[in-house]
Amino acid sequence: MSTVLVVGLGEVGVRTARQLIDTPGIDRVIVASRRLDHAREVASALHDGAEPLQLGRDDPLPPGIDAIASALPSEVDPGLARRAVAAGVPYASSADRDATLGALLALDADARARGTRVVAGCGLAPGLADVLARHAVGALDSVDELHVARWGVAGPESAAEARRALREPAHEWRDGELVHEKHRHAELIWYPDPVGARECELVATGVELLVAANPGAGRITSRLGLPPNRRLVPPARRDPSAQWGAVRVEAWGWRGTTRTSVVYGVIERAGVAAGTVLGVTGAWLAGALPNVASAPEPGAVGLGAVVEPVAFLAELARRGVKAAAFEGVAIA
Amino acid sequence: MKAFQRGLLVAAIAALVSVVVRVRSKGPVPPTSGGGWRELQGPDFR
Repeated sequence: MSTVLVVGLGEVGVRTARQLIDTPGIDRVIVASRRLDHAREVASALHDGAEPLQLGRDDPLPPGIDAIASALPSEVDPGLARRAVAAGVPYASSADRDATLGALLALDADARARGTRVVAGCGLAPGLADVLARHAVGALDSVDELHVARWGVAGPESAAEARRALREPAHEWRDGELVHEKHRHAELIWYPDPVGARECELVATGVELLVAANPGAGRITSRLGLPPNRRLVPPARRDPSAQWGAVRVEAWGWRGTTRTSVVYGVIERAGVAAGTVLGVTGAWLAGALPNVASAPEPGAVGLGAVVEPVAFLAELARRGVKAAAFEGVAIA
Repeated sequence: MKAFQRGLLVAAIAALVSVVVRVRSKGPVPPTSGGGWRELQGPDFR
């Protein structure tokens, strides 16, 4: 009997719980919030497929948990991760703040000592983007450039994190070192329709996870674009596709003697895509989907470092989150 | 002083025009590449 605890019941957390309830092999899903009434509300919205739980910052974790799937805000996520590691419970997180990703990876030694696993970056980007990046890199004999872009946010917390990422210094991986980019070099990125072309800027988010998962790439960049704040846009000019989230991954490298590119993209409601990625990762940590990633070994890693991209993407496709490949002539 | 004021006026008009152009812009330029998106299917996952 596998039990997964879902914490952070916003746009992503609720979708994560839904995905876990629908996963064969997961027998019990507990949805936890600081406010019991909110947890009850979510459990009721899930047609009572989940059990509500009040979980404050200092409350002990409930017994019998096989994995935790966290969609908590970035500032509180590492605190719960430390408690999970101390209790020997595997932990998956969708937090995307660069400092939080670093704090989660810093739990590596503790996780190894406790014989448990922490998986960071299980959202849209980092997360789905890292899975697509591994899939794209796997289609080439060798890779020299990897460019990842995301457009869209999952909710107010996610929008605040994205605005923060756009204010923080941008970094890119170039020839073996992390380089601080003073200019964000806004660029039009072409996502699948209906999102289409969106202006995205360089950010630091997730670059280090991509480097760890794709050590052969000489250059790695991460870009982010945000829909305009709805309240500041007159109704007649509101963008109907602003509710979508999108990810695009472009890998350049060699296949035989030919330099070529592989481009993958996904569009989906940002909360649905991130929640599905977190749900599948949580189910894997609980032992329900053993083929979507390599055998769980103790330590703290990014999703891209452990995922089996083909099996993971097939599982996402079964759940309605479908990737697409760009076929045509990309311009380098 | 008069030249300075004239310079300020020119800068203000330029800023106003750039705002109007940006607001009225029709959006991004057309793609510079040919091709399209194909959903990954069963054979792609084998």
